[in-house]
Amino acid sequence: MTSGLALLWRQKKAVAGLAIIVALCLMALLAPVIAPGDPGERVGRSHQPPTVEHVFGTTKMGRDVYSQFVWGARPSLAVGFATGLAITALGTIVGLVAGYFGGRTDATLDLATNAVLVIPNIPLLILLASFAGTVGPLAIMAIIALTSWPWGARMTRSQTLALRNREFVVAARMVGEPHWRVIFVEILPNLVPLIGINVVGSIIYAIVAQTTLEYLGFGDPLRVTWGTMLYNAQNSSAIIIGAWWDIGAPAAGIALVGLGLALLNFTFDEIANPQLRSGPALSRWLRLNRRRNRALEVGQ
Amino acid sequence: MRLPRRRLAVYCVAFLFAIVMNFAVPRLMPGSPVDSMIAQLGPRATPAAIAAIKARFGAIEQPMWQQFVDYIVGLAHFDLGVSVKYYPQTVLEVLGRSAGWTAFLVVTAIVFSLSIGVSLGALAAWRRGGRFDSFVSPFSVVMIAVPPVIIALATLFIFGVTLRLLPVGYAYDPNLDPGLNFTFFGSVFLHAIMPVLTLSPYLIGEFQTTMRSSMISVLGEDYVTMGRAKGLSETAVMFGYAARNAMLPVLTNLALMLGAVFGGSIVTEIVFNYPGLGLTLYTASVARDYPVIQGQLLLMTLATLGANLLVDILYGVVDPRIREGRA
Repeated sequence: MTSGLALLWRQKKAVAGLAIIVALCLMALLAPVIAPGDPGERVGRSHQPPTVEHVFGTTKMGRDVYSQFVWGARPSLAVGFATGLAITALGTIVGLVAGYFGGRTDATLDLATNAVLVIPNIPLLILLASFAGTVGPLAIMAIIALTSWPWGARMTRSQTLALRNREFVVAARMVGEPHWRVIFVEILPNLVPLIGINVVGSIIYAIVAQTTLEYLGFGDPLRVTWGTMLYNAQNSSAIIIGAWWDIGAPAAGIALVGLGLALLNFTFDEIANPQLRSGPALSRWLRLNRRRNRALEVGQ
Repeated sequence: MRLPRRRLAVYCVAFLFAIVMNFAVPRLMPGSPVDSMIAQLGPRATPAAIAAIKARFGAIEQPMWQQFVDYIVGLAHFDLGVSVKYYPQTVLEVLGRSAGWTAFLVVTAIVFSLSIGVSLGALAAWRRGGRFDSFVSPFSVVMIAVPPVIIALATLFIFGVTLRLLPVGYAYDPNLDPGLNFTFFGSVFLHAIMPVLTLSPYLIGEFQTTMRSSMISVLGEDYVTMGRAKGLSETAVMFGYAARNAMLPVLTNLALMLGAVFGGSIVTEIVFNYPGLGLTLYTASVARDYPVIQGQLLLMTLATLGANLLVDILYGVVDPRIREGRA
């Protein structure tokens, strides 16, 4: 683990990703300090370009885009992170149980996993959301989590299958430890890098799905989130009339979260699977190798 | 050639799941969708139409299993119900109008991204750790993480609104009559550029990432070393020996990604006002046209399952070990 953290620290990409995420989270947490006042308040004329007073301009309703951007980060990030964790928890449990118990349990769970995996998620989300009317953050979380756990379940299952017959697991079973203890104390700690990848990937997916749903108008229109900001901007034809700031601010926010998480995930992947590494260590080795080859050629 | 029975079971369960969702969700949700749909119909709400909607959404005195059997029998006769917004057109007619455009967009985007993503992935793996790899590979991962909405809006703003290079709506110039001539095809091509470019970054990113990691493990195989030892040229080893075999995981991934591609195409079509399934779904969801929304889910599930089945068959053709059942 320490070597993992050290590796993480040496990676410029991971540090950059972490910095982006931390900055955005800080911004969300400090919203009352850096953007005091109600983000839904009308403070200026309609669709004003950025000025000193309104650094990100105003929306069609004359609301301050900067204030909305800062406050909107709160629900967007909270729902994204919470949903990502929920997806991971579901997927990990299903994968662990299927992989550990095997037999009929595995056959059933694997069938369910693969079946939910091939059903297109967004149309299913739209079906559920449209019958529920506008849906609050909790409902969005539940809908996304229930339809997108299979990716993680599949990865976890195959890893668990590889672990279940290893000596330490067999020994724990022989000693008579209960199943739940073997699963959560013996096997689970070995899956930590995988779970890390799963969490980050799930948060990315949750943010994409949440944005899509809210952009389509299924979010609560009275709550300020990045998704509903996009929806409102789209409905006031912000792009066509050239009010790029109205769409640009939430779009940049979402894109930044995606960028930060992607950079983190890239590094997690490399830690979990050294074969994929292309970081500084590998470049250094390639350079040394080239130098050695050249030296050999000269020597001949 | 024989398909593994397990795969077929998976597809059956998935399809059944979609059907059960369609059947159960309107009956379980609080509030009655039936009333809102009848209100939608307005003056067109003939007794026959009201009865049809009631039967379809469970507002009748009939045991649940009877309703479910009727529903399945209806589906078996390709009866997806009647659209509320476009009454008296059936859902099948409404979806049929737009399915072709979505298929065109999705297939074009997949072919385009497959060729680019696979080449980028193969090259990145070939020179792993090189300058190309350390730029392209993180870039791909980032592309996967950016929602299609953002890419669509950015593309629309840059190429459609600011530079005015490309048309910002419809599948072809509405002043043209569809026909088999160059003007029409040219127009269709121009109108498809931005939607396809919007769908592609995610796909290219996924293909590149999968291809790179699968290529890296293939490059360690003995037959690749053998190819090199024989003194074959770099390109011959790379494409003839390594890339060919590394393609298999990319194929599997492609079929699984189709659901996400449909999700992306929904958003893309809305942003570019492109007359595909996504736009139909959007207008349906705004108008609370529930039968169309349900039909959409069934159609997209069928398409995804079909693609997966196709990949299973293809896999058997490409990989003899699977064809002979000793994977």
